[in-house]
Amino acid sequence: MKSVVTTVVTAADAAGRFPSQNDLEAVQGNIQRAAARLEAAEKLAAGLDAVTREAGDACFNKYAYLKQPGEAGDSQVKVDKCYRDLGHYLRLINYCLVVGGTGPLDEWGIAGAREVYRSLSLPTGPYVEALTYTRDRACAPRDMSPQALNEFKSYLDYVINALS
Amino acid sequence: MLDAFSRSVVSADAKTAPVGGSDLAVLRSYVSQGNKRLDAVNAITSNASCIVSDAVTGMICENTGLIQAGGNCYPNRRMAACLRDGEIVLRYISYALLAGDASVLDDRCLNGLKETYIALGVPTQSAARAVAIMKASATALIGETNSPASGGKRFRKMETTQGDCSALVAEAGSYFDRVIGAVS
Repeated sequence: MKSVVTTVVTAADAAGRFPSQNDLEAVQGNIQRAAARLEAAEKLAAGLDAVTREAGDACFNKYAYLKQPGEAGDSQVKVDKCYRDLGHYLRLINYCLVVGGTGPLDEWGIAGAREVYRSLSLPTGPYVEALTYTRDRACAPRDMSPQALNEFKSYLDYVINALS
Repeated sequence: MLDAFSRSVVSADAKTAPVGGSDLAVLRSYVSQGNKRLDAVNAITSNASCIVSDAVTGMICENTGLIQAGGNCYPNRRMAACLRDGEIVLRYISYALLAGDASVLDDRCLNGLKETYIALGVPTQSAARAVAIMKASATALIGETNSPASGGKRFRKMETTQGDCSALVAEAGSYFDRVIGAVS
């Protein structure tokens, strides 16, 4: 799993040297920004179900045709899977906030997602809509502190860019 | 390879739950103790050659057969290999201490180490003893509990802010114990 510390250690190990002052400074920089990340992760974990529900509702409100026969959400089972997937993306964002990098999203969310959606002929637009709604709905200081919100939104944008 | 943060992510993913609550409390303590941890890693890396050479010297002093003809440290070539291995072990311990997780030590250093030593005829008891001496000096340097009496003419004290770093000393000690457990 890629994070600042593992990147530093991998580089030091490849060179066969002890962690240098540069390595320690890199880790120190990561630690200084960690408080905001962990705050965002905590708030997101606490409200994960509610955020997922709001995001899914927003997407089905905008693309109501998705529930018509023959579309991607024409049965309750399929609708539930859409909510589940949104929950997965938000959970992976929670992980990214914890490690301080996009590793969890890259490895468990985005790698292969495009191929899967294409083979199941699922539209990615509604996911983008749901996550965009979450991004625009979140605000500081109601949900979390401004710096934490900034970290949260940057990962939302990362998923949105990957899916659109 | 994992660090304290990705370790909590991997275990949360196994139960498809977000990381929250008590897991985050552990990570917050990693963050709040961050400077101490970097000082501890610095204490090891800055004194690496001293820690390693003292440990190998101590190991040989306790068992002088090692440097007599037929001993496992007898020609300089094998003595050099011993010093090199001590440095490698200490290096991976410094990585583990920096990451706050033993996975890098397990995956890249300890996995298969005992089998390799047995195949090469390296006495694992002596290796474990050298690591134990490294543990004593490294933890003394991290906790600043070393004294001129025990350090002799190579005595050195790290000049860091005074405070409680018993948790880090214990954590570093546990990585050395892990190595000892793996080779013996």
